Amino acid sequence: MRLGQFLAAGWMAASGIAFQNLGAQDPAKRAWELELKGEGAEARTQLQRAANANPNDPLALEAYAGFLDHHRDPAARAAYEKLRQLLNRNRASTSERAKIAQRLTELDLIAGDRLNAEKHLEEFHSLGGKGLNLPAQGAAAHPDFIEIPGPLRSFARMSAVSPDVGPEEVMASLSHNITLNGYSALRASESLEPTEYLKLIMRYLTQAREIEKLAGPNQILKIETCESTQTGDLLRILGYRMRGSCGGDVSLETVNPSRAFLTIDSGFPLSVLEAALRTNRPFTLDYHPARIPVMFGAGYWHPAGGKPVEFIDFFIGDPALCRLYSAMSALDPDTADQLHKDLPAAKAKVYAHVWDFFGSILELRDGKAVVPGGTRAEKMWTELLGVGPDKGTTFYERLVEKDDGWMASYFDSLARISGPVQAYLTEPERLKRFYTAMRGRVTSPGPARPVFRANTDLVLLTTRMRLDADGRPHLPGGIMVWKNLFASKNGAKMDPLLAKAAPGWKEPEQVLEAMFGLSRKMAENEPLKIFMALTDVERNRTKPLEANTIDLLVKEYRELGAQYSLFAEVPTLSDATITAYMEAARGISLIKDVPLRADAAGTLQALASFWQIFVRQHTIPPGSADATLAAMVQPFAKIQGQREIGQREIFDGGQKGVQALLTAARAPTSGSAQDHMMDLLAGTKPAGSARLSDAHQQMLQDMTKVFEAQRLVSLDTLFALADRLEAAAGGTKLDVPAANRLAGRITEIQLPRAALSTRERAEQSQGYYADRHVDTERRLNLRQAIERAGADPQKLRDIRASLVPVLRDTLVGLNYVHYAPPGAQVLFTNPAFVRGHDFYGTADHIRTWQATEVMGTGWPANAGGRLSGSLISLPYALAAAEQNFLIPTREQALIWGDLVPQMIVSAVVPRWWEVTPNQLHWIGLNMAYADSLLARSALDEGVRERVRSVMDRYMPPARMKKVDRLLAAGDVRGASENVVPAEMYLAARELAAADRDSALARELRTLAAAASQELSALAISRAFGTPKPTLSTSYQPELLSLRTFPTLMGYSSRIMAESWESNLLFYAALADELHLRPAELNLRVPEWTQLTVERIFATHLEDWPALLRALRLVGEDVRQKARKLTVAQN
Amino acid sequence: MLLRLALIFLLVALAVAQDRPTFRVKVDLVVLSYTITNHKGHYINGLQPKDFKISEDGIPQKLASFAEGNKPPMEIQPDGSMRPMQVSEQGRTEGRPDAVVGTNVFVLFDTSNYMYRGFVYASDAIADFIRGLDRADSVAVYTYSRNLTRAAALTKERNDAVSGLRSAVAGDDSALYNALLLTLRDAARVPGRKVVIVFSNGPDNASMVAPDDVRAVAEDEGIPIYVISTNEVTKDPISSNVFKRISTGTGGKSYFAKTWQKQVEAFEAIREDLGNSYTVTYYPQPNPNEGFRKIMVEVTSDAGRKYRVQARPGYRPQRGF
Repeated sequence: MRLGQFLAAGWMAASGIAFQNLGAQDPAKRAWELELKGEGAEARTQLQRAANANPNDPLALEAYAGFLDHHRDPAARAAYEKLRQLLNRNRASTSERAKIAQRLTELDLIAGDRLNAEKHLEEFHSLGGKGLNLPAQGAAAHPDFIEIPGPLRSFARMSAVSPDVGPEEVMASLSHNITLNGYSALRASESLEPTEYLKLIMRYLTQAREIEKLAGPNQILKIETCESTQTGDLLRILGYRMRGSCGGDVSLETVNPSRAFLTIDSGFPLSVLEAALRTNRPFTLDYHPARIPVMFGAGYWHPAGGKPVEFIDFFIGDPALCRLYSAMSALDPDTADQLHKDLPAAKAKVYAHVWDFFGSILELRDGKAVVPGGTRAEKMWTELLGVGPDKGTTFYERLVEKDDGWMASYFDSLARISGPVQAYLTEPERLKRFYTAMRGRVTSPGPARPVFRANTDLVLLTTRMRLDADGRPHLPGGIMVWKNLFASKNGAKMDPLLAKAAPGWKEPEQVLEAMFGLSRKMAENEPLKIFMALTDVERNRTKPLEANTIDLLVKEYRELGAQYSLFAEVPTLSDATITAYMEAARGISLIKDVPLRADAAGTLQALASFWQIFVRQHTIPPGSADATLAAMVQPFAKIQGQREIGQREIFDGGQKGVQALLTAARAPTSGSAQDHMMDLLAGTKPAGSARLSDAHQQMLQDMTKVFEAQRLVSLDTLFALADRLEAAAGGTKLDVPAANRLAGRITEIQLPRAALSTRERAEQSQGYYADRHVDTERRLNLRQAIERAGADPQKLRDIRASLVPVLRDTLVGLNYVHYAPPGAQVLFTNPAFVRGHDFYGTADHIRTWQATEVMGTGWPANAGGRLSGSLISLPYALAAAEQNFLIPTREQALIWGDLVPQMIVSAVVPRWWEVTPNQLHWIGLNMAYADSLLARSALDEGVRERVRSVMDRYMPPARMKKVDRLLAAGDVRGASENVVPAEMYLAARELAAADRDSALARELRTLAAAASQELSALAISRAFGTPKPTLSTSYQPELLSLRTFPTLMGYSSRIMAESWESNLLFYAALADELHLRPAELNLRVPEWTQLTVERIFATHLEDWPALLRALRLVGEDVRQKARKLTVAQN
Repeated sequence: MLLRLALIFLLVALAVAQDRPTFRVKVDLVVLSYTITNHKGHYINGLQPKDFKISEDGIPQKLASFAEGNKPPMEIQPDGSMRPMQVSEQGRTEGRPDAVVGTNVFVLFDTSNYMYRGFVYASDAIADFIRGLDRADSVAVYTYSRNLTRAAALTKERNDAVSGLRSAVAGDDSALYNALLLTLRDAARVPGRKVVIVFSNGPDNASMVAPDDVRAVAEDEGIPIYVISTNEVTKDPISSNVFKRISTGTGGKSYFAKTWQKQVEAFEAIREDLGNSYTVTYYPQPNPNEGFRKIMVEVTSDAGRKYRVQARPGYRPQRGF
């Protein structure tokens, strides 16, 4: 049986379709075959036609409904409803009818239609169905409310709270913002002063109270006519006055700028008022105060007896209280409730900062504190804290108080991980030993004192460390490497105590203990950073690197460490090639002639980056990856410092490198090198396809536009001219007109004239050598040089060598082209952006091999921004340069500085040319199954328990509890809005294997059995994972299935963004739902990502629910457009 | 019919593969606005197409349409005579890209921290300007700090534009040139005559693109940039020089208006400029120059030789598939 037939049979069996009626089977079978070819839309059309043509054929209706259901198509409900009615009319078997009624109940719940769910569930019961019950809706909570003057929208604007946030979340968002932005410490004093942000909120409240008073007891602001006295009163409060007499001439002008600012900034409908005055019509505004729920009631936060002051004023006036509120709102609700009973706010707020940063992972179950390591570790936790987890809130209270928050941060980092590493670290003796190492002697300042959590390295260490097969921690290179490092001069300088202890180390655990010790330090902890980077380099290697190689990597970390992601991404690299690359880089760094050094570094890095791309895209087979890099690196091993000789070597190296890449990627041996490179960068052509697909064509067009916008010279032109010159230098007569034509193509490329005046240029501090590079190219007059050279071989070779800067730009530019972010405004606007790449930096800070960074933003600091450093993190730097060109769809939206570039990187680095329809459908089907799991969780306590057991590992306790409560109240839609796509996928993946009741689970198993290679965890991880340059030192896309990280010092939201794996899974499921071909993801994902970013309306840096909302909005827009198109096409 | 055809001048040999996209240099309709003033700076009105000689790189151009101020556009016949173009009551001329009616005015308002103090006064001045625009004009209001916000899309409804303006929210960093670039990109998509008016305090601490690269985009798209700076010209000489360069280089002007009164006057001057400018369209004659094409507007009469012409200096033809 062929795969298609096998799957079709499996799917029909899973859907309950029997092989009785061949006529009716055909559409289902054909649909499957079409799907396998990526033609899901056609499959849907055929099934729809079959269902419409045979309205009394249950098999046709079921085939259509099942297909829709398995693609999360909302039309599935209507299709099943038709089937249900038909089965009832036909008096089909009760089991068949019950099955449809059950599925309808689930789909109703997913759609948030409780009424129909109840109806269908009743039918299910009437047909003998058992085991499912829809719980009663939870009683509405009756929280305490406070009133804030004026409309909620205005208050939200002033306090920078997203309008998408529901009233129940306003206080939490407000307290978070006040914690972060409301106060600043005065220099030379501990006291905090309100910031301008907070002062504006306070002034707004005063203004709102005045308007409220004017609105009177009805709280409706009404201005009857332009001439009324109230008009003047209102305008005075608003800070405006009328210019011109009432009627068409009137306009409002500022009289009190402070008040007017508040009026505009709070979104008071001034233009409506102005229009009313101009037309002499009444102006009415509902000015009821906003009613906002307050957790535990106002009394908890503001005990009676104080000065009579409105709650909101009291609240925002106390930063510690705001921080405590922010912390409590992130706690698991049961834990928070117990804490509020046991601990008065006045006492709790002393450690509000610790609760705020490390409280969200804490959880009470049955009054007992849940601890990392479980029962086995409880005794040691008791010893460490002096009170046992069974004491519940007292245990947690002690935890946050201990060591200025270090104990809480340790607890937090251990609770975030799971599996063998957590088991290893929470072994009771190690638990104590590593804590002691981390704590050190002095605990101040605590990790919760700064604005961001200061336990970054501890969190990264526990997340990234790994264990060997023997259960011991993995030490790259073995223990001697680390002993030597700590005992070295540098090591001794960084930590004398560890340097002293190092010679006595015998066990890997001792090295790990030292790493825990270093994780406390914010500076001078380089060995820890090396340890984590090298752990990542070795993570996917089948054969560890030799000690000598590791030793070299350790020694060169400071200068070349950023390059290690190249080695981490390709685990098949040999020690020899890694060493050769390192030595070549080292040699280039020794070149004294800075422009020559920049050309050498730029050319080698560009070639290495192509290699990285081609290996990632599988255009270079894994077996040839090592040899190809080695061949490319070899010519750069010893570049001469003398310019002409060095340039010649670099040009040869560049040309040979391109040839080596094309050969390794099996490009045609004849034809244009430029075209071959562009084709390879655009992506692989589908096997057996003679023509490029539409998606490829589009991709090529987009890339060509960027290449042209940067006015780069084609490789063909460069190589052709170079070959002619080389041949002429060897004695062949030079065809001068032909050479001049080629030279003309190079020099006719009009580089923009220098934009800056001398004075403006003098103000620049960055990029001297990059500007010199552009100037050199601007002055290049090849025609003249060729004419002057005559037949002099030396001069002809020198001309060839002078092409090096141009070749470097083309090679570097092709990398920019490949990683161009959506929109690419910088690349389209600044034609010297690629040429301006600064491979040097400054004499004080040479950046040749460092991570790529954006420099020189803002006028007049520089003539536009440019990228500086190596090409190693080019995707991120390009994304960072582009992020401020994204246009939020609403005012006041917060575009996150670190999250957005990572989102763009995740849309640009992975390519989906090799993704199969099966893989795409696998994600869609898992998501459909996850929906179904949530629906069944609402109907069946047993299923809910199973779902909880999985999601608990990924969700923070507070959200898990919320989801659990919503499901327990039958609110499936509400619950699913709180589960991120990555969690949905993980739950489905883990639970499908053992689920014997669900047709979707059966189909997942059938699919997995039929295409086990395509659907293996590794294949799916590669297909829909995201690059994690910080978390795994690699741009290789992968799914790590981590809990979403918080913001961390030194990284802001960058690590949080890397741990967010939901976007691509969401887009893949969306593509499956809309029956897109997998290759279309290459165009759609960047487009959808841009739309998503533009719709993010976040309140603060950790407001990932805003990201989830944006994803869903984009999903809905895309669905609607696709449906309109389908209707139009039909 | 001929007029509707885009002229394709040169194929750039990028590739010959069967399915490889071909990149071309192409030039469509050129819209050119300019003002004529005498030695006292007074506008010269009432000139006719025959009074002008317009050339690109010295190659004389044949005008397709002609309009003065906000008067209805005239189609220029092969014999040089003119006839009015069909314009609907809404001022639209469907299907005629060369029928330019009114001006599409894009106001770009700085709402960054740098404008904190002058924010509300600036808002008032812009509101007055919007209300005072000619009926034929459309206006869009964009604001910027670190990012651009489209506060009011291009509209003829003044109240909508003012409402968008009044909804502006004060921001933080200033990315003036990023925002100006995005505004120009939006403006370039709109057919007809358009201008961008920047209202800014001047500093920029977040842009990735340089002012001169943005100016080049405006030049190529034929969009004059007017700048009203709320700073004194001497306060920040580098920003002042840049403002002058990007405005004069695109056929616009710059004003340094610290006070509200000066700002109102600056807006009045811009309005006058718009009302007293000539707008012509033409399809360029064959020209092998793929780079910057220099535009020259001359008044042919003897008296005209003393007049000052304010127009964009030229443009680069676009390249595309």
